[in-house]
Amino acid sequence: MSTGEEPQVSEPTSGEEASLFEELTGVGLEWRTAILVPALAVFSAMVVGAIIIAVTDIDALRLLGTNPGTALAEMWDSIWGAYKWLFLGSMGSLRAVSETLVQATPLILAGLSVAIGFRAGLFNIGAQGQLLVGGMFALFVGFSIHVPVYLHVPLALLAGALGGAIWGAIPGLLKARTGAHEVITTIMMNFIALRLVDYYLKSSWYQAAGRDDPVSKPIEVSAQLPKLFGFLERSDVRAHLGIVVALLAAYGVYWLLFKTTVGYEFRAVGYNPHGAKYAGMSVTWLIVGVMAVAGALAGLAGSDRILGVLHRGTPGFAGTIGFDAITLALLGRSHPWGVVASGLLFGALRAGGQEMQVNTDISLDLILVIQALIVVFIAAPALIRAIYRVKTAREAERLTTGWST
Amino acid sequence: MLKRRLSVVALLAAIALVVAACGDDTTESTAATTTTQAATTTAAATTTTAGETTTTEAMGPAALVCQVSDTGGIDDKSFNETAWNGMLQAQEQFGVEPQFLESTDATDYRPNIDSFIAQGCDVIITVGFLLADDTAAAAADNPEQLFAIIDYPVIIPGVGPIAPFTETSTNARGLNFNTNEAAFLAGYLAAGMTATGVIGTFGGINIPPVTTFMDGFARGAAYYDSVKGTTTTVLGWDVEAQDGLFTGNFDSLDDGRAFAQNLMDEGADIILPVAGPVGLGSGAAIQDANAGGASVMMIGVDADMFFSAPDLQDVLLTSIQKKIDAAVLNTISNVLVLGALGNEYFGTLANGGVDLAPFHNFESAVPAELAAELVQLKADIIAGNVSVSG
Amino acid sequence: MELQLRGITKRFPGVLANDRVDLTVRPGEILGLLGENGAGKTTLMNILYGLYSADEGEILVDGVPRTFSGPGDAIAAGIGMVHQHFMLVPVFTVTENVVLGVEPTRGPGIINMRQARRDVAEISSKYGLEVDPDALIESIPVGVQQRVEIIKVLFRDAEVLVFDEPTAVLTPQEVEEFFGILRGLRDAGKAIVFITHKLKEVLEISDRICVLRRGRTVGERAPGEVDEATLAEMMVGRPVELVVQKAPARPGEVVLEVDDLMVFDDRDHPRVKGVTMSVRAGEIVGVAGVQGNGQTELVEALTGMRHPFSGAIRVLGEVVTRESPRGYHQRHVAHVPEDRQRAGLVLGFTVAENLILDSYYGEPFSHWIRMDWDAIRGTGRRLVEEYDIRTPSIEIPVSNLSGGNQQKVIVAREFSRDVRLIIASQPTRGLDVGSIEYIHERIIRQRDTGAAVVIVSTELDEVMALADRLLVMFGGRIVADLDPTSVTSAQVGLYMAGATP
Repeated sequence: MSTGEEPQVSEPTSGEEASLFEELTGVGLEWRTAILVPALAVFSAMVVGAIIIAVTDIDALRLLGTNPGTALAEMWDSIWGAYKWLFLGSMGSLRAVSETLVQATPLILAGLSVAIGFRAGLFNIGAQGQLLVGGMFALFVGFSIHVPVYLHVPLALLAGALGGAIWGAIPGLLKARTGAHEVITTIMMNFIALRLVDYYLKSSWYQAAGRDDPVSKPIEVSAQLPKLFGFLERSDVRAHLGIVVALLAAYGVYWLLFKTTVGYEFRAVGYNPHGAKYAGMSVTWLIVGVMAVAGALAGLAGSDRILGVLHRGTPGFAGTIGFDAITLALLGRSHPWGVVASGLLFGALRAGGQEMQVNTDISLDLILVIQALIVVFIAAPALIRAIYRVKTAREAERLTTGWST
Repeated sequence: MLKRRLSVVALLAAIALVVAACGDDTTESTAATTTTQAATTTAAATTTTAGETTTTEAMGPAALVCQVSDTGGIDDKSFNETAWNGMLQAQEQFGVEPQFLESTDATDYRPNIDSFIAQGCDVIITVGFLLADDTAAAAADNPEQLFAIIDYPVIIPGVGPIAPFTETSTNARGLNFNTNEAAFLAGYLAAGMTATGVIGTFGGINIPPVTTFMDGFARGAAYYDSVKGTTTTVLGWDVEAQDGLFTGNFDSLDDGRAFAQNLMDEGADIILPVAGPVGLGSGAAIQDANAGGASVMMIGVDADMFFSAPDLQDVLLTSIQKKIDAAVLNTISNVLVLGALGNEYFGTLANGGVDLAPFHNFESAVPAELAAELVQLKADIIAGNVSVSG
Repeated sequence: MELQLRGITKRFPGVLANDRVDLTVRPGEILGLLGENGAGKTTLMNILYGLYSADEGEILVDGVPRTFSGPGDAIAAGIGMVHQHFMLVPVFTVTENVVLGVEPTRGPGIINMRQARRDVAEISSKYGLEVDPDALIESIPVGVQQRVEIIKVLFRDAEVLVFDEPTAVLTPQEVEEFFGILRGLRDAGKAIVFITHKLKEVLEISDRICVLRRGRTVGERAPGEVDEATLAEMMVGRPVELVVQKAPARPGEVVLEVDDLMVFDDRDHPRVKGVTMSVRAGEIVGVAGVQGNGQTELVEALTGMRHPFSGAIRVLGEVVTRESPRGYHQRHVAHVPEDRQRAGLVLGFTVAENLILDSYYGEPFSHWIRMDWDAIRGTGRRLVEEYDIRTPSIEIPVSNLSGGNQQKVIVAREFSRDVRLIIASQPTRGLDVGSIEYIHERIIRQRDTGAAVVIVSTELDEVMALADRLLVMFGGRIVADLDPTSVTSAQVGLYMAGATP
């Protein structure tokens, strides 16, 4: 044992620089900083996206040598067209807004799941698996019981949350009891969930009668999340009650994290598990609790898919939401409102992307590119600082260390 | 309206995602991108000259034919892409304007179909069983719109509608393939060619479009045994239990390697992987084994892999062809010429919708006698003298 | 090489970190740079090292003005810095660490390790550093790691060596050896800047002492012409009590009883091997000992952080042997932990949040699970006032506070309750004079209001000054129970070393 392994003298260094974890997740940053970088990241990603549109316009590129004016005009048309349809497809009509909400709902719920994990210092990569299991629970309740809608929908949602919570709590328990790292275990749990879904969709419990493929029985109409604009009787306006569930969940997470002793404990464990133990908290059960709550939120996301849109189960019902949720939580700085905002943004990108695909010859992959670029810029805040010459928290924060006895 | 930029954008997306170390399915798209061009050129090469195209273009506004791909994407080197090749052939032959929409996940199917309905497509082709429910619902909501769905039956003559389709789903056509007929031939061939008496197969997921290959293969081998009095062991598919060996995915080349290696360890010297690109991994594993002195062959699926996977020419005994492009072309032709979808499509040996590809490099290795028997067997299957389903 | 700083001024929004600072250091001398935490010492050195740029003023090397836009420039100009936190790769050898970034090569891309090893060995022996070039960093003690940092700087041909709080991580013996090395370097003609807040050390080693207060140079003295009290006054700006003033203890009832306690560490090695002790209300019991003799585990066991293997602990007659930290807390036991940043605080939490860290779960701070932020802020403001915690707001993360103020947050939280027993481990480690004085005063005030106090510290002077009774721990056992007024530190030192005088 060496003496003083923790030098604690002079100006504390901990305040000088945000750690990588803080930089990435936004946990612990002052709010203006927390918003500035994501906003600039989104903007930068859109700009780079525009450049990519331009340089992949092969026809225009060919013209560049002979007739640069026309070429540039064509490129501009492509960019303008893409972003115009992205906008119109996400906000240009009732249907567009409805699609944005439909796409945003599970993203918000799953994003909250990842964010609450970040707040408690846990990397929940398992949202995808929790989403799948939650969805399967909701699905089962959706087709197997026959009760009125005001009971059926809440019961199915509850089942979904429960399924996700169980799936989330397992890695939590493994970490708390054995120290197994949650990144590894949640990834593995994703694979298990994926295979279980494949298996159960082909089992007699789930599989629709008379079908050979892994498609489940449809859920009862009473289990379907009611349409928000059902009175319009428009089949293309799919927005449903799920978005309300998502917003309530966001408020719930906000309340839990910042207004309750439970949230105080979650955050304490996230910042400093040893300090949490010192403060008399049960770190073991907190980790399990955080993972269960995170799992429940992801389970709700899966339920939203089943009960709100698909009304049945198929192997790919979860899409890649559980993974997009990680991006989302990073962009949303792990704050519930941030997650809602980025969920709406990603929902709008997806909804608008569909419309862009219909109306232009730009590939849907552009959306993936923009999303990926957002992550790159978020993950490299130094890049944003350098580009925009913003002075973020670092220098300002360390000032307060100048106060002394 | 060809989405030429796809490749570049997809590639950039892949790079960006890899940089971001995001847990997304990017390897697939890079792999797919590189092959898109090859596939398109071969498709173009097999069709008619440009001269004909110009004459048909003069005939007034082009018909709009539309394809909704599943989440695999248009360049999946599997059924989405083969179907799209059929669309491109229709463009060459009839001057139609092909369009596609890709789906990022299951909730996109219906909006994509609806977008095409709004655009006034002459026929909308949906790809795969995952789109069955949405196709059936859209067909019911829009009785005037024509649909065709690949690998899913709509109304089977003599049997009736297959859920979720109904009696009224007459505006939809299922494009089905009796792949087991061609697979039966492949099984017969394999049983005749194996030196070890052990042949093997594995699939992607246990769904009918996959298992029909495996079932036909196993039954064909059994038929050979019953005729010749030999004993051939078929690994990977149990005809009685209707179950077998599955990778659980259609994209892991590593799984393809591992599964082929396992089968080879069990003595199999002819392997039939039925899992799209996964088979490429198997082919590579077989090449490695052969380089080490083994003598193992592979049977390709869907397209004649001698052309679509030229790297594997030295191990490809033959391929079980499932001509989705022909079915798509047939459907579009019906719509343009007859003004109707036509009856449910079943690709068979008789109509050339399924077939056994040439032996290519193994032409001389296959005994003339066995080749002749295969010709006779094909004729017997077409004539109904031999049943491929037991 | 002579280094001169002239009129250096650095402003951060709202704070003047350095205000027209002048400083000169010449070859063959040791300049002590003395100042409290936050006086601007580190900012000044970061400017010198090219990490910050000064708003005003200039840096002259041998009379020539230079600008450093990064550490690379500073190194090239012959300035080397040894940071408090070592920048070494644990799994690399000494040589590999030394040459990292400036590897000698033979041919492009081929590291000449043999050459490097020879250079390292040569530097080591020239300055008497006694470092094995082939040892892995993770296998050598902190004191030797520091010497590796010194070799790194010398290997890069530094003429001016800056040491930022170098003794903070060293044991007393290591400090002596380190001073020997410093003198050797000075005699070899190097210019040395020694940054510290420790009065004794700066008096012992410096040739000249420069005192910094609130960003300004307040004076320069030779060690012969000042004493500790004067320096302390210069540093803090007011007279400072360096000697602990306390009335004789009036011990009351027994509060803490420890009976044949055995405690194991994380690797299941016995660390506390049968400790029996008792502490009465109104007395301070000091536990002295060289670090690693079981004090850490003893304190953890006495606060519920670690369950003892055997034995019994009673607080006010109640058996609490296997209680949780919360159980102790509820029995009016206060705990000032050894490692304040790791255990005592949640650095990401605000000052207000930290002030309720172990009492958040009950009235008045929460009702069932709902936190009462008004009550929490009210308490926060009151304690900040009462305990003189210097912070611009109770809503900023506690990580932004200086070490002294962080410790005050802990002391405020722990002492503001109805406390019957205080377990304080290294309560003033790393703090400056002003804070030490304050914390000592608070501890004595708690004793005088009837609390039983256990102080565990490796700083013998501190325990001797505070304790009414002195226990010495060695090898997991209490080897002596002494009256601090009737023994000398030399005698105690013998007990600490395991000898029985």
